[in-house]
Amino acid sequence: MYAFLFFIAFSFLPAPAWAQQVTLGASVQLTGPVANTGRYYKDAYEFAAEKINAAGGIAIGSTRHRIALKILDNQSDVNLSVRQYVQLLSQDKVNFLLGPFASNFVLADSSIAEKTRVPMVQGGGASDQIYSRGYTHVFGTLPAASNYFGSTIDAMTRLDPRPRTVALLYADDAFDVSVAKGTRELLKRAGLKTVIDERYSTNASDFSVLLSRIKSGKVDAVLVAGHETEVLNFIRQAKSLGVSPMLQSFTVGVPSADFRQALGRDANGASGMTAWLPSPALKDQWFGDAEKFAREWKARYGYEPDYHAAAGVAAVEAFVNAIQSAGSVDPQKVRDALAKVSFDSLYGHVSFNDQGQISLPQIMIQIQDGKVVPIYAGKEFLNKLQYPLAPWDKR
Amino acid sequence: MKKIVRGVVLCVIVALLAALPWMGNTVLVQFGINLLLLATLAQGWNIIGGYTGYPSFGNSVFYGLGAYGVAIAMVQYHLPFWAGMLIGLGLGVAFAGLLGLAVLRLKGHYFAICTLGLALVMTAIVSNLEIAGSNIGLVLPLHTGEALFYELALGLLVLTTLTIFWLSRSRFGVGLIAIRENEEGAAVLGVNTTLYKILAFMLSAAFTALAGGIYAYYITFIDPAGVFDVVLNVKMIIMAVFGGPGSVLGPVIGAFVLSATSEVLATKVTSIASMFFGVVIVVAVVFMPRGIIDLVKNLRQAGWRYFIGNVRAHRL
Amino acid sequence: MALFVQVLVSGILLGGLYALMALGLALVWGVLNIVNLSHGALIMLGAYVTYFLVTGAHFDPFAALPIAAAVLFAIGYAIQRGILNLVIRGPMFNTLLITFGIEVVLMYLAQLWFSADYRTINPGYAGASYAVGGITIPFVQLIAFAIAIGLTAAMWLFLLHSRTGRGIRAAAQNLVAARLYGVSPKRIYALTFGLGAALAGVAGGLYGTVSQINPYIGGALTAKSFVIAIIGGLDNPLWVIVGGLFLGVIESLTALFIGPTYRDVASFGILVLILIVRPSGLLGRTA
Repeated sequence: MYAFLFFIAFSFLPAPAWAQQVTLGASVQLTGPVANTGRYYKDAYEFAAEKINAAGGIAIGSTRHRIALKILDNQSDVNLSVRQYVQLLSQDKVNFLLGPFASNFVLADSSIAEKTRVPMVQGGGASDQIYSRGYTHVFGTLPAASNYFGSTIDAMTRLDPRPRTVALLYADDAFDVSVAKGTRELLKRAGLKTVIDERYSTNASDFSVLLSRIKSGKVDAVLVAGHETEVLNFIRQAKSLGVSPMLQSFTVGVPSADFRQALGRDANGASGMTAWLPSPALKDQWFGDAEKFAREWKARYGYEPDYHAAAGVAAVEAFVNAIQSAGSVDPQKVRDALAKVSFDSLYGHVSFNDQGQISLPQIMIQIQDGKVVPIYAGKEFLNKLQYPLAPWDKR
Repeated sequence: MKKIVRGVVLCVIVALLAALPWMGNTVLVQFGINLLLLATLAQGWNIIGGYTGYPSFGNSVFYGLGAYGVAIAMVQYHLPFWAGMLIGLGLGVAFAGLLGLAVLRLKGHYFAICTLGLALVMTAIVSNLEIAGSNIGLVLPLHTGEALFYELALGLLVLTTLTIFWLSRSRFGVGLIAIRENEEGAAVLGVNTTLYKILAFMLSAAFTALAGGIYAYYITFIDPAGVFDVVLNVKMIIMAVFGGPGSVLGPVIGAFVLSATSEVLATKVTSIASMFFGVVIVVAVVFMPRGIIDLVKNLRQAGWRYFIGNVRAHRL
Repeated sequence: MALFVQVLVSGILLGGLYALMALGLALVWGVLNIVNLSHGALIMLGAYVTYFLVTGAHFDPFAALPIAAAVLFAIGYAIQRGILNLVIRGPMFNTLLITFGIEVVLMYLAQLWFSADYRTINPGYAGASYAVGGITIPFVQLIAFAIAIGLTAAMWLFLLHSRTGRGIRAAAQNLVAARLYGVSPKRIYALTFGLGAALAGVAGGLYGTVSQINPYIGGALTAKSFVIAIIGGLDNPLWVIVGGLFLGVIESLTALFIGPTYRDVASFGILVLILIVRPSGLLGRTA
């Protein structure tokens, strides 16, 4: 059916000549310390735009609009990214804004969207701070930071033997502090005892002290909210210090391909969460379904997509949906349409709450034999969790 | 006569710059805010680094204190912006006065490393301060009038430059230059070197802190790594050295040339911009170690031999 | 008590690696009077060289270290001979700036060639450890520590007893005196910087076996190296070791008793305090 529609759409198009175009602009991290994750967004925006254009672009009334992209490299520099967003709007005359990666960038950059009253849809920042400022022109496709460990903690209460003591470690940046705040609440509600609750410096490289405390405190489950580099160090040092709690869960890294590659076999057993898995059940108007999307992405870019990639695609699709239902590229009308948008995508169901944030459940995942295995999605166990984790020398 | 012409030309340039926000190009205004703040920072550094000869890596501390003065005042105490500017100014100047006493006894590399250490330790301390929003940072109220920030930044740069102009022909300035050239000699000639150095450090801090305050309100979100940024300090030095340290207009010219080039590169050939920055530093230090001002003065006479001469003078 | 001892042991092992990182920086600073801001970038390159030898050519990480050292020696020699020697008699902050410029270029090239992917040097025995009376001693860190101590001692003997070493020490005092040892200053400077880079290369390889590698790890490592060089002073490699251990232990104890976010407050606070109180270094005799 879809294929047929595509065919119709195509056959009525004056092939390469587009009457008009809608330009989406973004400044993302292509170089600098955050480039490793920044690339997901560039690739996602380009892939989505290309796919949507191939299917006939955006329909506004009876005319077809091509999606054009203008993506700049902010060199992982917040100040530069702010200037680039201004430049995108006033010089490059982009119609709408897509977001950068990372909460601290989104916090600064979205103020440009708010000031100029041009909507921004971003899939890179989830800190609660972004949505607590009363901004009306910022929409986000990453679910709330405070609930990242929600499914994990839920699953923990159903494990046998039940973990009794928990260590919560988190980096001191905006996003991870938000995660910790929410997690603390969830742990209390689940009746789990938090014996270590410690903040560490972003980009810390030595975790031996925290690990020694975990070991001597006989902690059952360790929850870490941090960045990929920190988690890599944490796992490596946990192994060399022989620290193996029954459960270890991390907010980042576990779903990412290069993380598993960097750790090799040592990644096995680490659990984490993702708002997205490449499942064929997630249907999409342009990509078919999420599994197909993941396959094509891998073939095209040479690495596996994770939720960053899917959230980036969802941001583009949200714009397409909103523009089509607004029937216009007027920023105010599109903003209002974004607030009401509601559609199914390869990322999941996209709709925004009053603060502009999406709501999606986090699926608990675990790396087993080098592969990401979905474990728990809020109701029941999808697969068996390797639990309790064996000591390192027996893995 | 020549002096009057030069003065008039400068006034016209400033007037034209001041009119920029009303010419309708918002990109230029954004670029302008950034450029004017950077130029102010380079000028601030010029006082302690260029005139006095103390290569401070701690000016980003003053910038950070200025920014946090505004942010804490506005976010935690709901004070108006100007009150925050005053608080930031006070913090920066007080810090310079107190630490200057201890730090300015060091010379050369040791001074550089110690001030670098100060910048790093301040980042670490502020990221543990509850009132400063810890390492998460603070979100400031949104102000939509970009022209305000632009005019403030322009005003601050003019003020800084006028101060340096005054400095360059005052007893105080001559004393600073004497310290740079030969500190023991200056002391023998009756310059109170300790007092002079601390005053220079505080003056440098004052302008830098004000620039930080404007920045905080303009950018709406600050965190420790962003405003106590060592790389920003390196940029100040590069701009001052590239333009001509120890001259009145050199750092402004340096800031203008370097920002414009890197901005163009960042937007046009987006991926090599950051490397270009490194290459420019290396090439500039090798071939024109005394900056653009010196280059312009001597290039006409010496031609390309100017570059060879520089290399010859400094190579092993 | 066991926790305290464990943390102390971890701090000491960490300190050994720190010391090795700082050794090259202190050597270059002491002899050439160049504060090398690109030192961390050289450590990063050393880590990558080791990484590619391990994953590409299936070297054992420790067998790859001499090659990493040789490669970095060549890079360091070329940088000094080709660039730094051109400005070495210029104003002091010019050498600072130029090494910063070099760092930016190296970092960018690393990203271009190696991508921003995170990597680890992870041989089969990487996570092995010894348990001694309830205290865990990671095997790789222990080896790294031993190599750091061994190299420092070797460095010390080399500077003290070899002809070239005496030339280097003479150059640190007085270039004319150095000529008497029959080595041209140009060469001896390049040689010294090369040695500093080679030490950075080994440190990088070891760092990659206990931590992760990406193009941007250099800046933080340069800063740590400063702290140690300042604690230990610049005149004797053996004091650098003590400086490294001191820092490792202080950092660990701070993290244990005050909190992990105060590590940097402690280490950089020490840097500032020592400089203000004793600019020649806490342990060394002269600057």
